[in-house]
Amino acid sequence: MSMFRAAVMAMAVSAALALGACGNNENSGSSTTNTAATGSANAGGKTYKVYLLPKVKGVPYFETCDQGAQEAAKELGDVDLQYDGPVDGHADEAAQLVKQWALQGADVIAVSVNDPAVLAPAMKDAQNRGVHVITWDADAAPDTRELFVNQATAEQIGDALVDTLAKDIDPSDPKAASGEVAIITATLTAANQNEWMKYMKQQLEKYPQLKLVDVEPSDDNQTKAKAATETLIKAHPDLKGVWAISSAAFPGAAEAIEQQGKAGKIQVTGLSTPNDMKKYVMDGTVKSVVLWNTKDLGYLTVYTAEAVASGKYHKGDTSIKAGRLGDRKIVDGQVLLGDILVFNKDNIGKYDF
Amino acid sequence: MDDQTRLATDAGKAIGGGEGASYQPPQLASPSFVAPTLTQRVGPFAHELLLFVVLVVGLIWAKQIAPLFMTVTTQQQLLFNVWDLALLSLPMTYIIITGGIDLSVASTMGLSAVVMGMCFQLWHWPMWAAALMAVVTGTAGGLLNGVFVAKIKVHPLIVTLATYSAYRGLAEGLSLGFASLYKTTSVYSGFPTWFTNLGQKAFFAGPDLRHPHWYALSAAGWLFIAAAIAMGVVLAKGPFGRTLYAVGHNETAARFSGLKVGRAKLLIYALSGLASGLASLNNAAEYNTAQANMATNLELDVITAVVLGGTSIFGGRGRIIGTVLGVALIHETREFVSWHYHDNTLIRLVLGSLLIVAVAINALLGRRSSRK
Amino acid sequence: MTTVDYQPLRPPLTFRDMLWSLAAKREYGLAVLIALIVIVVSFRSPSFLALSNISDLLVYCTQPAIVSCGVMLVIVTGEIDISVGSMLGLLTAVMGTLVSSKTALVPGFGWPVWAAILVTLGLGTAIGIINGLLVTLVRIPSIIVTLAMFMILASITVKIMHRGNITDLPQGLRWFGIGTILGIRASIWIMAAVLIGTWAMIRYTPLGRRIYAVGSNAHAATLSGVSVMRIKLFTFALTGFLVGVATIVTTLGAYDNGIGQGFELLVVTCVVVGGVSISGGVGTVAGVFLGVVLLMIQKPVLIFLNLGPGWSNWDKAIQGLLILAAVLVDHFAGRRKKPGAGGGH
Repeated sequence: MSMFRAAVMAMAVSAALALGACGNNENSGSSTTNTAATGSANAGGKTYKVYLLPKVKGVPYFETCDQGAQEAAKELGDVDLQYDGPVDGHADEAAQLVKQWALQGADVIAVSVNDPAVLAPAMKDAQNRGVHVITWDADAAPDTRELFVNQATAEQIGDALVDTLAKDIDPSDPKAASGEVAIITATLTAANQNEWMKYMKQQLEKYPQLKLVDVEPSDDNQTKAKAATETLIKAHPDLKGVWAISSAAFPGAAEAIEQQGKAGKIQVTGLSTPNDMKKYVMDGTVKSVVLWNTKDLGYLTVYTAEAVASGKYHKGDTSIKAGRLGDRKIVDGQVLLGDILVFNKDNIGKYDF
Repeated sequence: MDDQTRLATDAGKAIGGGEGASYQPPQLASPSFVAPTLTQRVGPFAHELLLFVVLVVGLIWAKQIAPLFMTVTTQQQLLFNVWDLALLSLPMTYIIITGGIDLSVASTMGLSAVVMGMCFQLWHWPMWAAALMAVVTGTAGGLLNGVFVAKIKVHPLIVTLATYSAYRGLAEGLSLGFASLYKTTSVYSGFPTWFTNLGQKAFFAGPDLRHPHWYALSAAGWLFIAAAIAMGVVLAKGPFGRTLYAVGHNETAARFSGLKVGRAKLLIYALSGLASGLASLNNAAEYNTAQANMATNLELDVITAVVLGGTSIFGGRGRIIGTVLGVALIHETREFVSWHYHDNTLIRLVLGSLLIVAVAINALLGRRSSRK
Repeated sequence: MTTVDYQPLRPPLTFRDMLWSLAAKREYGLAVLIALIVIVVSFRSPSFLALSNISDLLVYCTQPAIVSCGVMLVIVTGEIDISVGSMLGLLTAVMGTLVSSKTALVPGFGWPVWAAILVTLGLGTAIGIINGLLVTLVRIPSIIVTLAMFMILASITVKIMHRGNITDLPQGLRWFGIGTILGIRASIWIMAAVLIGTWAMIRYTPLGRRIYAVGSNAHAATLSGVSVMRIKLFTFALTGFLVGVATIVTTLGAYDNGIGQGFELLVVTCVVVGGVSISGGVGTVAGVFLGVVLLMIQKPVLIFLNLGPGWSNWDKAIQGLLILAAVLVDHFAGRRKKPGAGGGH
C-alpha cells in the first residue's frame, strides 16, 4: 500500500502546487487590489466589495477599463475591487460569476452585459440577495439593475460607426458617399455585435448609395479577419469601406487593406483602443477609430458603484461625483460618461490607453 | 481489422512497452493485452479512491482558506452550473470505454436548442412539444454519428469532428437564416415559467426557500443522479456493459463471440445525442435563452472529466463512479479558482495540470507494477 | 488480430504497384474536387484566377500546411497532437514580446530579430519534446497530453498578453511574412521548403521509412530494431519546431491573444481530409497539402461567389458537410477495402 499512499500524496501535493501557483499570481497580478489596507481616506472603516465583470477578460479594451477602475479604487480607499470575467466571452460563464459574487456577499456587482437574456436571471437573483447591481459598458433590462454607466448605447455605437465610415469615404459630402461596404464581425452569434449591426443597418438607410454586400464572421481571429477582408477587396472591386467590429477583426482588416495596397482607397473603421490602432492611423491605412475613453469608463463605474453602496447616491439624484471627472449627469437611471470619441491622425497621439 | 482494434492494438503495445527492443512473445500482440495497472495492483477502485481523497483533501483545504465557499447554500447554488457537463459525461464514458469519442456533444446542444427555440418562438408550438423536439433533434444527431461509426465504420474521431462543425453550423445557419427571413432575432428567449423553473429552481427544497434542504437539486440534478445510478449498474452488472468493455478491449473478438457490436455502438452514440438534447433543455431553462452558440467548447471539459475519472482513452477500462468523481473534481476546481482567486484565465491552466498529473500517476504506477 | 497487417513501408516502387496505388489515392479525388471548384468560381468571377489572388490563397495555406506536415507524421505514428493551436498562440506571444520595444526589459530595446526567431523555434521544439516525452516515457495517451497542453498553453498566452496587443514589430521579422524573393512571398518559399523537405525525408531517408513502419505495425517495427519511442519523440519535436516556423511566417501586423484559436482543429481536419489515416501508417505530403488547399480556399470561394450577406451563416455547416462528404466518398470508393491497401482500417 505504500505505493498507493505515495500516489495520494503526490496528487494532493500537485493539486496544492497548482493552486498555490495561483496564489502567487494573485499577489503579482494587476487584476487584484486590496486597497482597504491603504485606506487612510477610509475613516468609517467600512470597505465595499465591488466586483467588476467585463464581457471578456484579457482583451485590451477591458484591460484598460480595469486600469481606470483600479485607479478609482485607489483614490476612494474604501473599495475592495475584484475584476474577473470569462476568457472566451461566454455569457453563461458571466452569469455564473455574478451568481458566485452574490453568494460571496458582494456589495456591488457591476456587469458589462454580454447578453441581457442570459444574465437577467443571475442579476435578479443577486438583487434578491441584497446586492446592488449596476451595469456598465452594455446595458440590460432596466428592472435588473439600479444604474447604467453609459458610455454609448448600441444605437449610438451603430450610428457612429456608419457616420464615421461615410465621412471617411466622402469627407466633403458624407451623405453622398457611394460604393459597396461590408462588415467583418466577431462570431455570427455574438450578441453585442449583432445588436450593433441591427442599428448599423438602420442607420445605413440614411446613406442610400452605400450598399452592404457582405457580413463575414472572423471568429475573433485576426488571421481569418485578414483573409476575409482581402478576399472581399478582390471579389468586390467597387468596395469602398469595411467595418471591422471586433477587437481582433480591426487590426486584421487594416493589415489586409495595407497589404493589398488599398490604403486611402478603401476605408476601414471600427471600435478599438487608440494604442492598438495607432500604428495604422499614423501610416494612413485607417482614417478614424471610434471609441470612448475606456479608462474613464472603468473609473466612473467604480465611483458609481461606491456611491450606490455607501448610500451617497439616492434614487432620483441627477448627478454623481466622480473624482477627476467632476460631476456626471444621471438621466433615466443612466450615468453619462460623455461623447463617443473619434480618433484620427491629429488627436490619437494624445491618448495613451 | 478496423480502427478500434487498431487503436487497441497500439494501446496494448504502447502500454506493454517493448521499445527497449526486448523480445516480445507473439501473443502480446493480441489486442486484448493490457498491462496490469494501478487498478489491479491496489484493489479494484484505486483510481476512484485516489480521486475521492484528492477531492476531500482539496475541499477541506478550500474550507480553511475560504469558509464561505464550503457552505451548503453556496455549494447548492454552484451545483446549478455543473449539470450540462455532468449529463454529457455519462454517455461519453460509455463511448470512450468502447474506444470511441464524441466531439460533437456541445454542437448537438446548440442545434437542439435552436430547434427548440424556433419551434417555440417562430412556429408557436407549445413549450412541451418544442422541448420534446429538442430531445428528438439531439437523439437524431447522435444517431447519425452512430450510423457513421457503427454501420459505415468511419473512425469516430473523424465522424464527430465533422459533425462538430456541421451541427454547430446548422444551428447557426438555421437560427440566423430564419431570423433574417422572419425579421426577428436569432436568440430565443421568454420561455414559460414552468420551463425555466426546471433549470433555475431546486426540487424538494422544502418550505423555506432561503434555506432549502441540503438535498434540494434542480431537475437536471435529479435526472443526473438517476441516470448515473442506472448507467453505472448497467455498465458494471449488465450484459450491455460487458459488451461495451469487450468492444473496447478487442472489437474483433467481441464480434466473433457473437456480441451485437454495431447495435451497441449505435445505441451509445444515440444516448449521447439524447443527453445533449436534455442538457440543452437544462441550459435553456437555466439562462432562459436558447441560441446557436450554447455550450461552445464544452466537449473538451466533458472529455477531460471522463479521462480524469479513470476511463482509458483506448477503451476497455472505466467506470461511471470515476466519471462522477472526475466531474466533481473539475467542477469544484473551476468554481474554487474563480471564487477565491478571481482569475478565470487560470482555470484552464489548473485543469490541464490536474489532468496530466492524474493520468501520469496512473500510467507510471501501472507501468511499474507491470514490470514486476 | 485476424489478418496480418502488411503495410508497405513506403510508396511502392514497381510500375504495377504504382498504377495500383494511383487508382486508390485520395490525392486525385481532392485535386479533381479543387479543380472543379476553381473552374466554377472562375466562371462566375474570373479575377479569382488572378496571380495576386493565387499568391494570397497560397499565403493563407502557409501556416496550416507547415504545421500539417508535422501533425501528419504524428498521426502516421498512431498518435495525435491537438496542442498546435495554443502553441501557435503562445509562440506568437513570446516572439512578439521579445522583439517589441515596449515590452523589453530595457524600454526601447527589443531583442534582435534573429535571437527572437531562435527562441521561438527552440521553445516550439522544447514544447514538442515535452509532449513527446509525456507520450513515450510517461506513456500518457497523446490525445490527453496534448489536450492538457492545449489548455495550459492557452492560459499562459493570456497571461503574457495582458499588456495589450503588440504592434511594433520590426521590419526584419515582418519580412518572413510579407517580404518577397523573386516576386514570390517569402512565406510561400518557406512553406514549399517544408513540404519538399518532409516529402524527401519520408521518401529517401531511413527515418521517414521508420516513421511509417511504426505507424503500420509498431510491434513489427520494434522487432526489426526500430525504436518506437525515439521515432514518436522525433515527430512531436518536429511538430513543435514547425509550429515555430509557422509562427515566424505570420503575415499579421499586430499580435493579439486570440491567435491560433481553432487552429488545431483546422490542422487535424486538413490532415484527415488529405487522406491520412487516423489509425496510423497511411498518409502523404501531397494529400495533406491538397487537404489544406481545399479547406483554405473554401471561404474565399464562398466570398467570390458573392451569394449575399446571409450566406456566411452557413460557413460552418458547409465545412462540416465537406469533411463528411470527403469521408463518405472515400469510403464508398472502397479505398480501404482493397486488399493491397492493407487491412489497417
